[in-house]
Amino acid sequence: MLIRLTGQIDSTNAAQLEQEIMARLDGQEDRSVIFDASELKYISSAGLRVLLRIRKSYPDVRVTDVRSDVYEIFEMTGFTEMMPIEKAYRVVSVEGCEEIGRGANGTIYRIDQDNVVKVYNNADALADIQHEREVAKLALILGIPTAISYDVVKVGDSYGSVFELLNARSFSKILTTEPDKMDWCVKEYIELLKKIHSTLVPEGKLPDMKETVLSWAGFMQDYLPEEAGKKLLAMVEAVPHDDHMIHGDYHTKNVELQDDEVLLIDMDTLAVGHPVFELASMFNAFVGYSELHHEVIESFQGFDFETGTTFWRKSLAAYLGTSCETKIREVEDKARIIGYTRLIRRSIRRNGLETEEGSAEIAFWKERLMELLERTDVLTFSDQEMEIEAVTDNLPEVQAFVKERLDTTNCPPKAKMQIALAVEEIFVNIANYAYAPEKGKAAVRVEVSEEPVTVTITFVDHGVPYDPLAKEDPDTGLPADEREIGGLGIFLTKKIMDDVTYTYKDGQNILTLKKNL
Amino acid sequence: MTYPSKIDLHIHTKVSDGTDLPAEIIAHVSKSGIGLFSVTDHDAVKACRVILSLLAESDPAFITGVELSCRDEQGKYHILGYGYDPDAESIRKLVDKGHRIRIGKVSARLDRLKSEFGISFPQDELDALFALDNPGKPHIANMMVSHGFAQSKEQAIREFINRIRLKNEFISPEEAIRSIRDSGGIAILAHPSYGDGDQLILGEEMDERLRLLMDLGLQGVEAFYSGFTPRLCREMLSFAERYALYVTAGSDYHGENKMVMLGDTGLGDSGEWPEGLRRFLKDARIHGQHEI
Repeated sequence: MLIRLTGQIDSTNAAQLEQEIMARLDGQEDRSVIFDASELKYISSAGLRVLLRIRKSYPDVRVTDVRSDVYEIFEMTGFTEMMPIEKAYRVVSVEGCEEIGRGANGTIYRIDQDNVVKVYNNADALADIQHEREVAKLALILGIPTAISYDVVKVGDSYGSVFELLNARSFSKILTTEPDKMDWCVKEYIELLKKIHSTLVPEGKLPDMKETVLSWAGFMQDYLPEEAGKKLLAMVEAVPHDDHMIHGDYHTKNVELQDDEVLLIDMDTLAVGHPVFELASMFNAFVGYSELHHEVIESFQGFDFETGTTFWRKSLAAYLGTSCETKIREVEDKARIIGYTRLIRRSIRRNGLETEEGSAEIAFWKERLMELLERTDVLTFSDQEMEIEAVTDNLPEVQAFVKERLDTTNCPPKAKMQIALAVEEIFVNIANYAYAPEKGKAAVRVEVSEEPVTVTITFVDHGVPYDPLAKEDPDTGLPADEREIGGLGIFLTKKIMDDVTYTYKDGQNILTLKKNL
Repeated sequence: MTYPSKIDLHIHTKVSDGTDLPAEIIAHVSKSGIGLFSVTDHDAVKACRVILSLLAESDPAFITGVELSCRDEQGKYHILGYGYDPDAESIRKLVDKGHRIRIGKVSARLDRLKSEFGISFPQDELDALFALDNPGKPHIANMMVSHGFAQSKEQAIREFINRIRLKNEFISPEEAIRSIRDSGGIAILAHPSYGDGDQLILGEEMDERLRLLMDLGLQGVEAFYSGFTPRLCREMLSFAERYALYVTAGSDYHGENKMVMLGDTGLGDSGEWPEGLRRFLKDARIHGQHEI
């Protein structure tokens, strides 16, 4: 039943109004009540209590078309948490306005000097707007700098939310107009990303990105060879649950510089999950999406494919804190697996398999995905760990990786030299013996723990079981040419490090070196 | 101490502007499954004296109560007094003063209705009016309607009675709190977020109000109230926690005059009561049900 509320409702007329409303509702078949508040100018607490009491008898109550000053009363008193209360919306036109951002769910326009409006793609966007507002509030509470919409407006057939964004410029715009600021952008962009990824989200507050990616992988089962499809699904399933925040659409149009502050916008995709899911969407935004047709990125980001690729590679290097190509490529490959999965699914759903446009794209991405699935076994990564072909030529890369990790600590130069020496002995050992005459991979992990400050370096290979510690220490009392060949490196390592342990588990040789600083 | 599963500490009787007689209240409270109740008439303790004299062993437990309308330069307040001795001189004097002010206002209004609008009533009706425990605007308005001076009670109040400005005479919160405490009672701010009934006081303004009243001896807040949303309740509970205040729960039942059910306080029956409420029930003087 629709009931119009008009003028003022306060203690002078609340009781009378209540009686009238109850009389009208009494005996009605339809138990739902809609209050049209377009003519309601004021409601006092006596009036609020009338609504509360009506709701007790008729739980299905909603209030529509509420003026913003009256809405504020409902919001302050918590009524908006108890029943659907819909604002009357201001109408805004975005014709001729500058487009400053575009995401999966909407487009952002600057409507004047200080304000922007995000217009949602779907007509029934009020729930999405509410969702974005809630997650933006949550992010802000958790310490992520973001803008929160202060008004909802009607734009054409859809809705938009209005944000205050003073003199803000997106990173895309900065990269386009001031290419020399690339390194500065990378630094700020990654600093914010690390902050997002280190933010723990209370359970249940945000969707789990893994669920979404699982559904993509599930979709792909019909379009990939059985083996490959199964492997993809198993790899996604093996990604451990992670309660840290991810943005979900973290590209340079969604990062704004306002005065000196870097702000995150477009929060509707906020989720929790492993960072690899984030990197996947970043790869797509800068590379994957326009990998076949390079000009695509320009219409979206404003800068060209080369800039996008450079920005992505530099960002990934900064994120992983390494210049080690092998490490960067390793993580990029993991991101690409999820990225291509998403792109293929998107293309199939959008264009179908039949169209020329669609089938070309799909074939292009699928070829890459198949190749990646062939040589990748896990999607997770750690910036403390690298996997590399165990050949002596790769020693400099391993050394550089270990050094980068140690550079972030207060490790004294002498200890660094000793560690480098030990790393060399062990890695060369693996390179020479673990897989001979074949070749294989080794993983190197560097961990630093506090109090006491200890560096732990772990080497893992899948080669023949071999315990280097089982060998007796060589007799260093003998002249050099009388000593048994080999074993000296391990002896040296044991001397330099504070603890060296070996285990063989699940087909892996695991050698751990510890050094107290 | 074992707690009753349902309580209601804010109930009006016919002694003020409710419609149930004190004896009827006891019966209704029992029927509603309420194990502990208080009667809190506006500026009157008569119903509590009556109930104390009627209370049987099988009846729900009872706490004496009163709701005092007061004001000062800062605003208007309704202050609840609980567990006082209804025979104590201090509370009786204050209630008498309240009644005197009320009667004074009624006769001033009647005088001005006559002089300004030419509205007058037969003597027998006036006598009946002044014989009421708690005569006020609604009673005058009803008489105006029955004599055809106005079409509705609301119109009578809006267009005639409220146009008459009376000189201010009132009970201050300081007096109210002092009398309650001097009579062995606990002073609680009624429906705090709603001020004296139709205001909206939140956040810092509420904080300021509470600090002023606490300086005067206020001991608690009615955080559970039938007219509160969960948010208002949460806000009051957090103030109670911050200032170590007592917490009470009341419906503000008025019988036929308001569509509020007995026991509708928002407290819920989970048994997870806030510490401030448990402490209140421990410290307030409870009658009946073997003093719980």
